[in-house]
Amino acid sequence: MTFTVQFLIDVLSLGGAYALMALGLVIVYGILKLVNFAYGELIMVAGYAMFLMGGSGLPWLVMAGVAVIMAVIAGIATDYVAFRPVRAKSVTAVLITSFAFSTLLQNAALLFISPRPRPVPLPDIFSQTVTIFGAITPVRNLITIVAAIVLLALFAWLMRRTVLGIAMRAAATNFTMARMLGVPANLIITSAFAISGFLAGVVGLLWIGRIGTVVPGIGLEPLLVAFIATVIGGMRSMTGAVIGGFLLALIDTTLNYTLSQELLKFRDAFTFSLVILILLWRPDGLIKGPASGQRT
Amino acid sequence: MKTSRTTLLSTAAALLLLGSAAQAADDKIIIGGAMSLTGVQAPLDTPGVKGAEVAVKYLNDNGGVLGKQIEFINIDGKSDPVTVGNVAVELIDKGAQLIMAPCDFDFGSPAGREAQEAGIVGISTCASDPLYSSWSLGDKQFTLSMWNTTMGAVAADFAAKEKGWKTAYVVTDQFIAYTKSLSKYFVEQFKADGGEVILEDTYTNGDNNFSAQIARLQALGKKPDVIFLSSYGQDIGAIIRALREVGYDAPVLGGDAYDDPAMHEALGEKFGNNVYFVTHTWMGPEAHPDMPKFIDLYTKMHGEAPDTSFVSTGWDTIMLMADAIKAAGSTDGAAVAKALEDGQFKLLTGDLDYGTAEEGHVPNKAAVVLELKGGKPTFVGWRKPESIPAP
Repeated sequence: MTFTVQFLIDVLSLGGAYALMALGLVIVYGILKLVNFAYGELIMVAGYAMFLMGGSGLPWLVMAGVAVIMAVIAGIATDYVAFRPVRAKSVTAVLITSFAFSTLLQNAALLFISPRPRPVPLPDIFSQTVTIFGAITPVRNLITIVAAIVLLALFAWLMRRTVLGIAMRAAATNFTMARMLGVPANLIITSAFAISGFLAGVVGLLWIGRIGTVVPGIGLEPLLVAFIATVIGGMRSMTGAVIGGFLLALIDTTLNYTLSQELLKFRDAFTFSLVILILLWRPDGLIKGPASGQRT
Repeated sequence: MKTSRTTLLSTAAALLLLGSAAQAADDKIIIGGAMSLTGVQAPLDTPGVKGAEVAVKYLNDNGGVLGKQIEFINIDGKSDPVTVGNVAVELIDKGAQLIMAPCDFDFGSPAGREAQEAGIVGISTCASDPLYSSWSLGDKQFTLSMWNTTMGAVAADFAAKEKGWKTAYVVTDQFIAYTKSLSKYFVEQFKADGGEVILEDTYTNGDNNFSAQIARLQALGKKPDVIFLSSYGQDIGAIIRALREVGYDAPVLGGDAYDDPAMHEALGEKFGNNVYFVTHTWMGPEAHPDMPKFIDLYTKMHGEAPDTSFVSTGWDTIMLMADAIKAAGSTDGAAVAKALEDGQFKLLTGDLDYGTAEEGHVPNKAAVVLELKGGKPTFVGWRKPESIPAP
C-alpha cells in the first residue's frame, strides 16, 4: 500500500509538471505550427526574477506572482521579437530567430548575473513533508499535483467556454478560415504566447522548487521534456500534450523503480526506445488533433 | 588558376602574420586560455579565467617573468570539446607559449592534445579525473587539480578512520567521467579502510527526482552512517534536500562539485548541516597565508569578492606556469615540463609535487575538507591520504 501510494504520487507530481510544460509548448505550436525553442528561457526568466527579488523581503506569494508576470512578459516579447517580424516568411527563419532569442536571453543571464547557480527563495512549505498511508511525501509534490489539476481545469474551461478560447481553437484548426471570419490574428497569437509564458512561469516555480537554484541553462531540460511529451501525445492536440506529459512521467518513474542498478545507467536509452516504439505505432502521436497542417 | 593564386596569397599573408606574431612574442610571454565562458562548463571555467587575470596583473606589476611581460589571451571554448581544440590551435597560431586548459577531462583534453602536438606545456585548471594524465595526453600535459584517486581516498579516510563511520550509502550520478570515477575510488578506499557499502545507487543528472532511490533505501530497512553522493551542479542540493526531508540525517560526503556557494545558500540553515566535502582550497588564511592577499587583489580588480574558491585554481595555474618558466629559464615545452616534474610548489590549492611522465604526471597533492554548518562552509583542515587507489 505504502509503495503504491508513493509510486502514484511520484507519477502524478512529475506528470503534472511535465503536462504543464508540454501544454505551454503546444499552445503556440497548435496555432503557428512552429516550435518555440525559446520556451525553456521563459522558465529561466521566472527563476531569475525570483532570485533578483530574493533579498527584498516581500511575501513569497507576491514574488511568485511577479515572477509569473515576468514570464508572461517574456513570452509576449518572444512573439514580438522572434516570431512576428518573420512569421509570414519561411519556417527556417522563425526557427533561427527563436533559437537566437533563446541564446540571447541565456547569454544575458550569463553576462549580467553569472554563469554560476543562484539561489531562489522558497517558502517553508516547499520543504515540509506529510505522511500519507505510511509514505513520507514532500508537500511540494502535492502542491504540484494540485496546481496541475487546477491549471488544467482552468485551461480546459478557457478553451471551451470563452470567446478567446474558441477563437484560439478555431485558429489552431484552420487559421486562414478563422481570420476570414474576423478572428484577429495578432491578438490570438499574442494571447497564445502569453498563456505559454504563464504556464512556463508556474512550471518554473514548481520545477525550481525541486532544485532550489537557477542557472542560465535551466530551461533546457523542461524544453526537452515538453518536446518529447508533445511528440508522444500528438503535436496538434492539447489533450495529447497533457497525456504525453503524464505518460512520459509514468515511463520514467516506472523505469526508475524497476530497472536494476546495471541497467539504470542506461535509463534514458530505455525511455527513448519506448518513445520510438510509440511513434512507430502512432506516427502522429497518441491523439491526432484537428486535421489541418497548413502553416500561416 | 584563380583559386590557387588566392590560396597562395592567403598562405603568404598567414605566414607574414605568423612571423609578426612570433616576433612580438620575443618581448612578452603569451599564455593562451581555451576556457569556456559560455555553456555547461562556464561555472567552473569563468572563475578560473578571472583568477588567472588577477595573477597575470600581479606578475606584470612586479616585473613580469624572466624580465618579460605576460599576456593572457582567452578565447571562449563554448563548452564544446571540438571548439576547445580549435581554439587551442588558434591560440598557438597567435603565439601562445603555454596553454591553460578547461577544468575537466572531457572538455579540457582537446586543448591539452593540441598543446602536446605543438610541443608546448598545457595545464588544466582543475580536471580531476585520472584520465587527465601524461599517459593519455602526452609528456608536456599536467593538471593542477588532485586526481579523483586522492579526492575519493581523502573522503573515505575521513569517513572511516577519522569519524568512524562504518556503513555507507553511495549514490553515483552517471553524468561524466568525474562523477563516476569519484564514487569508484571512494568505494575502493572505504572498503580497504574496513567500511561496508550497504547500497549503491545511480542517478541521472537533470532528473531532479530522487524518489525511486529513496524508496530503495527505505526498503533496505537500515540507515547508513554516511551518505556518499557524487553528483554535479544543481542536482547535489536537490538530492540532499530530498534525503533530509524524508528523515535521512546521516552526514553527506562529496567532492569539489559541492564547492558552490549557491548550493550552500539553497540548502540554507535548515538543510545545510552535517555536509562534508573534499575540495581544492578554502578562501581563508587557514588554507594559505597568501589567501587574504589574493582575495584582496581579486576584489580590487573585479570589483567584487570571489564567489567561489575555484578562482584560486586560475591564479595557481598562472603562478605555477610562472614558477616553472623561471626554473626552466625559458618557455621551451620540454624545459618547462621538466621544471614542473622536478619542482615542488606551494600553491593556494595546496602543496604540489608532480610524478614523472612515466607515472602519468600524478599530482601528489593535499586536499581540503570543509563542513557545512547552517548553510555556511567551515574549514576542517588539509588532509593527505597515506595511500591512494591505483587509477
